[in-house]
Amino acid sequence: MKIVVAYKWAPNPQDLEVRPDGTVDAGRAKPAVSEYDPVAFELARRLADATGGEVVGLTVGPAAIDTPLARKAALSRGLDRLVVVADDALVGADSTRLAVVLAAAVRGIGDVDVVLTGDSSIDVAEGQVPLTLAGHLGWLGLARVAAVEAADGGLVVERDLPAGVSVLHVAGPVVLAATADAVVPRVAGMKDILAAAKKPVEALALAALDVPAPGTALTTLATARPSQGERRRVVLEGPTAVADLVAALDLAGAR
Amino acid sequence: MDFGLTDEQELLLSSLDELLERECPESYVADLDLHHQPPTSFRKAMHEAGFMSLGFPEEYGGMPTDAVTLVLLAERVCRQGLNNGFGLELLQAMDILEFGSTEQKDEILGLLSNGEVPFALGFTEPGAGSDNSAMATTAVHHDGMVTFKGTKTLITNALQSKYLLLMARNPEVEDKRHAISMYLVPMDAPGLTTNQLDKILWHISDSCEIFLDDVTLPESCLVGVKGNGFKQLMRNFEFERLVISATCLGLAQCAFDDAASYAAQRVQFGRPIGDFQLIQLKLTDMAIKLENIRNFVYRTAWLLDQDLPLRSQGALCKRYAAMAAFEVADEAMQIFGGVGVTVGTRVSRLWRDLRGHRFGGGTDEIMVHIAGRQIVKDHA
Amino acid sequence: MNSNQSWVVVADEPAVTGLVTTARELAPQVVAVVVGSREAADAAARAADRVVWLGEPGQVPVEAYAAAVADVVAAAAPAAVVGATSPAARALLGAVAARLGAPVLSNVQQVEAAADGAVVTHAVLGGLVEHRTGVAGVPVLAVDAGAVPADGPAVTVEEAPATPFAGVTVTQVRPRERTGGDLGSARTVVAIGRGLRAEADLAIVTALTEALGGELACSRPLAEGVDWVSKDRYIGISGQRVSPDLYLAIGISGQLQHMVGVRGAGTVVAINSDKDAPVFAQCDYGIVGDLYDVVPALTAALGGGA
Repeated sequence: MKIVVAYKWAPNPQDLEVRPDGTVDAGRAKPAVSEYDPVAFELARRLADATGGEVVGLTVGPAAIDTPLARKAALSRGLDRLVVVADDALVGADSTRLAVVLAAAVRGIGDVDVVLTGDSSIDVAEGQVPLTLAGHLGWLGLARVAAVEAADGGLVVERDLPAGVSVLHVAGPVVLAATADAVVPRVAGMKDILAAAKKPVEALALAALDVPAPGTALTTLATARPSQGERRRVVLEGPTAVADLVAALDLAGAR
Repeated sequence: MDFGLTDEQELLLSSLDELLERECPESYVADLDLHHQPPTSFRKAMHEAGFMSLGFPEEYGGMPTDAVTLVLLAERVCRQGLNNGFGLELLQAMDILEFGSTEQKDEILGLLSNGEVPFALGFTEPGAGSDNSAMATTAVHHDGMVTFKGTKTLITNALQSKYLLLMARNPEVEDKRHAISMYLVPMDAPGLTTNQLDKILWHISDSCEIFLDDVTLPESCLVGVKGNGFKQLMRNFEFERLVISATCLGLAQCAFDDAASYAAQRVQFGRPIGDFQLIQLKLTDMAIKLENIRNFVYRTAWLLDQDLPLRSQGALCKRYAAMAAFEVADEAMQIFGGVGVTVGTRVSRLWRDLRGHRFGGGTDEIMVHIAGRQIVKDHA
Repeated sequence: MNSNQSWVVVADEPAVTGLVTTARELAPQVVAVVVGSREAADAAARAADRVVWLGEPGQVPVEAYAAAVADVVAAAAPAAVVGATSPAARALLGAVAARLGAPVLSNVQQVEAAADGAVVTHAVLGGLVEHRTGVAGVPVLAVDAGAVPADGPAVTVEEAPATPFAGVTVTQVRPRERTGGDLGSARTVVAIGRGLRAEADLAIVTALTEALGGELACSRPLAEGVDWVSKDRYIGISGQRVSPDLYLAIGISGQLQHMVGVRGAGTVVAINSDKDAPVFAQCDYGIVGDLYDVVPALTAALGGGA
């Protein structure tokens, strides 16, 4: 079974500085494998180990996502090899653009049975890319996957949905986005980190991929820092704090 | 001169960050401290993630690792506010790997791989601390057996350990340098009893008196060469001092971070106390001390990695790190004021635990004794 | 392009008013394409001007109709496409977006029709920033479906049975027991976070919740890290978003990913032992203190609990 883990090399938005005009300074933010993606790595590794398969990492984005550190960070998490599409034409790429490039790379890798992803990226946090990717591939795309196993020539997929747990049998190729707590991913140890440097990496040129032109263009007309809702920020301390709070809530008619 | 981290070090530290966040949050550490419990579950998780075998030779399932990386890890664990969280196991293993028999190696490495503390070091006695020549515990060899008699005290982690790495003296040997041998004694050996000592710091490690009342074992409990015990023990003292220095660095950094955030937040006279220059002076001097400790620790580790002679570098580093780190924690307490001494405030725990490092692993003063002699000798 | 029409894609949502309202901003006529039960199609028929029902999914997931939905929508060449934010709706929107080569914009606050498409105000980077974005082409929007079913006159549901992906079957469904009332409509929500040290200690928080007549919620780690609170009750960017009159954040540090979920709350109260917790900059009233002391005291002061 050939499994692709599509992941993002992304900064934590906690470290992004938003200027008063709503533009973002990423100077202090150190990118990493996006917070929920290690869950996908772990699911992929377990599925591959159970089926004698291969795990191929895949990430796309601006040129800066392809550094030796970034490669090793991904490869130390249980990948057999890595495919990277890094090009500054992808700076600020929207979800559909990223999905198109991912889809082209998945086709390039060839004979892929499953694409696994995390729940959502830590920075954009919308969970859209895997499902648009499925759309491009013309595959079934399922989010909120809590477990996946090989069975009966296909996969048994367990989904954790608001209404309850749903178990499916899937025969064809599929894109699966894991829940954030599907498994506890193992932590990369020194052996994994050292081994990562020796694993194969393939850098695909964006220009060489069959990527259709976007049908819709976006222009950012204005940016703004969202208002914090003008909260009062009254901080109470000491022995009268609780009584003060109750009085304040009563005064504000908040209870 | 390269002060940057390698990719591997950076990735290892971010792995450790993940593990610490998951397995060692402040609530966990505070709870261990409150209930005087060892960090067993954290140690086990560290072992499972492969951190505990770093620095061991490959033939024992380990991963040879440079000293700089090891001190970075020790510092990071302690920066979480956990005292003695990393590195001591390695020291213990090294003693046995270097001098132990095959059976002893297998036993100790097996315990380590289970996340357990294999042994406590039985060195200090009521009458013999820094002055090891005053050691009174005896080991009498007879008919393939050896019998121990004496009292050890302030033995760290004795209750958590399966063995005691016992230092004892052969009463028949006059020359004190050749009288002491090293033994691996099961804590449940008949005649061995313990008495736990109540103390005001290092709550996650127990401290005990150990009474050896004619404890008799087969001679195979000897570690290394008879009469070489002290020399064997000394072998890893330099590295131990380095690990303790890294521990002090991490704990002090934790105290500094707490104090600096508190200063930025605590409002008095209508503004954050961090706006006042007297507080800024404290924070600045604390930052300088941290920078000095950090450079001292990293460079000492680097010297070790280059196989350069350490001379008394370890003693100099340990003395400075323990004293400066405690000064940082003490100033952090001052910034916190009365809040700092209330139970549950992390800075009070850091202050307590750092105080212990000014004598644990060798007092500030004995470090002068070690380094001072060497300095004079070098210039004679 | 059919600039008179915008389409909503309905993934078995019982309520679609939010989708239709947004879609109507962008074109006078709203067509709904529904994958789901007959009831869902009927509900859509009370809000939209035209309803195309692709059929009851039965033993296949809604997502298996993604390509069929994309076919129908693309053939109509609408001015805009709107769908909900549920996983199934995002799968349908993803297929449509892929077919149209259009990005899906989420967290939409405002839309206006424009000559060549639309102007969309939306939060990006998890709510860190707001953008006003010009969309030249077909806007594809993921918005809140709304909670209230429409009650207008129904149009006829056009049945257009479609073929789902082959090879996928739902073999088992285990419904979740709902662990409380509706978070979305609660007037008071009490949320607990990592400050809680043990599951058993939840009792002090539920006592306060009862004293306030509110609903219990939590931050992400408590639902997904330790599983102390049911997963449908965590507040945040990828969980629930609530707008109660009163919101209490207890033992919650106030990370952006959580606070985005309560932006619409009336009064926000924070209880945290860490003075530096970011939550204190985002609350109306904060108490610095150990939740184990403050929460029982507050419960008592409100006349509840023991």
